[in-house]
Amino acid sequence: MLLIGENLNVISKKIGEALKQRDPEPIREMAIKEAKAGMDLIDINLGPARKEGPDLMEWVVNIVQEVVDIPLCLDTTNIEAMEAGLKAYKGKALINSISARPERIEALMPMAKKYNASFIALTLGVEGIPRDANERGLLAAQLIAEAANYGLSEEDMWIDPIVLPINTQQIQVQGCTEFVMMLPEIAPNSKSTCGLSNISNGAPGHLRGILNRTYLIMLKRYGMYSAIVDAFDEELYAIAKGKMPEIENLVYKVMDGEDISYEGLSKKEIDYVKTAKVLLGQTLYSDSWLEL
Amino acid sequence: MAFEIPKIKYTGKIREVTIGIPPNEVTIGGESCYPFYLFEGDMPYKPRVAFEVWDHEPQEWQSWAVEPFADVIHSPSAWAKKCVESYGAEIIALQLKSADPNGMNRDVEEVVSVVKDVINSVNVPVIVWGTANDEKDTALLRRVAEVCEGKNVAIGPVTEKNYKQIGAMAIGYNQVVLASTPIDVNLAKQLNILLGNLGVKDDKLAVDPTTGGLGYGLEYTYSVIERDRMAALTQEDVKLQYPIVCNLANEVWKTKETKVTKEEDPKMGDEKKRAILMEGVTAMTLLIAGADIVIMRHPDSVALVKEMIKELTA
Repeated sequence: MLLIGENLNVISKKIGEALKQRDPEPIREMAIKEAKAGMDLIDINLGPARKEGPDLMEWVVNIVQEVVDIPLCLDTTNIEAMEAGLKAYKGKALINSISARPERIEALMPMAKKYNASFIALTLGVEGIPRDANERGLLAAQLIAEAANYGLSEEDMWIDPIVLPINTQQIQVQGCTEFVMMLPEIAPNSKSTCGLSNISNGAPGHLRGILNRTYLIMLKRYGMYSAIVDAFDEELYAIAKGKMPEIENLVYKVMDGEDISYEGLSKKEIDYVKTAKVLLGQTLYSDSWLEL
Repeated sequence: MAFEIPKIKYTGKIREVTIGIPPNEVTIGGESCYPFYLFEGDMPYKPRVAFEVWDHEPQEWQSWAVEPFADVIHSPSAWAKKCVESYGAEIIALQLKSADPNGMNRDVEEVVSVVKDVINSVNVPVIVWGTANDEKDTALLRRVAEVCEGKNVAIGPVTEKNYKQIGAMAIGYNQVVLASTPIDVNLAKQLNILLGNLGVKDDKLAVDPTTGGLGYGLEYTYSVIERDRMAALTQEDVKLQYPIVCNLANEVWKTKETKVTKEEDPKMGDEKKRAILMEGVTAMTLLIAGADIVIMRHPDSVALVKEMIKELTA
């Protein structure tokens, strides 16, 4: 499974400040750190980039590609900034993202073609976030058809099912999981990705990792090709790279509905079991789910 | 093969919670099925109606709300007594409205003396409901827990912000805690866990899911209670297996639809009848969702609701 580091992000205080001040050092540092942590791609998230968006993107892309040679994922809602980044980047970029909204498709699909970039196809439509697996399926089909119209290759399309926070959207999380199961049939030639950390958005900070990791195991089992993740969660990295098969197998058992006795399990293993139950909707989420 | 009616498989049971003291104590909870599904399980204690009494004469009540209490509304203790003696109240819910910092903002001790008066004037169980201002309630409800020692009252709303302070006093003085969260089943579960960790016993806890009146969010409260009961009864969610209390009277009676008179808007029909029906329908709906106690205002709406409970539990 490929990992895309999420930490070069305008919402991070340090990075946000560096972007504002045009201070290249923290940006360089972060890119190198993410590469060292084993990331397969680096996401450059500038958010809406309303102020000097194109200039800023060009500037960051140049700084990052100078110090690391792993592929970049360009993440902004500013269309001009996206183009500036694609122009500046020497490799094959991943556009993050093109939703199923006409204005995004019309502006960004030709751009993907022109710069021979891959793109994240976000299952978000004109009516907003899909409510279940089927609505995600419809949006994915729509994106596939649009991409074909623009002459884009299916292999360059990374479908994103939209991961939602478990603490407020527990039922919708199951819709997302279900869709990922269906994905190989809907789009056999496409790739997939997701904003994994969104699963734990709003959960207590020290508990976000276990939610991210457990959900990664679940999505990975169903064939998720990549995920945008916290680059510095070492255990998550180990799972993604197949180095923790015992933990993966344990979560599979919960997914398969096996009765699991906590006897003989370590605290860590029990935490994975409890978290899987929450993510599967077997237990109602609460911030103290690990203490029960 | 004969047709068999499909039945829900219940794996959990709501805990029993008792408020008040013998011989007039009231026990709620104990359900092992969805509300009134007596063909699938037991509802050993029928749901109850609590009459609300304010701690100070209300200033903005409709005349048709004041009418049944006109002779006593200036005195909380006389008002409570009348609810018990004339209208058969089995529980009194004392609303500490006058302490609200956004209103009269009466001093804690002044309000506490009203609580004492009311507690001593009736022999039925009492629910004491604070201002829903976390800070004021911390001071106020802590004192309430203390002065009601030996009465086994229910105290709320206790929130994530003040559960430690109020919860500790409730444990110390052996009172029941009403855990209040803003229409969210995950937060409700979390607060129950926190109160449990603090040391509140399982038979001393009931849940206030936050109540919306008919036309003003009732359906949200309904969904949350429904979800709460599904988790409690069919998913063995032990941290949601607590009785539910809905403080609905004020939510209903503050709405425009209970205030506009027939004269002002003829198509709305008789104002008294309309307001009573709105309160009654709100309470009935919440009971069908799973409420164990509904806090109500008007004796006529209460009569309607009691009749429904009687019919559904017959």
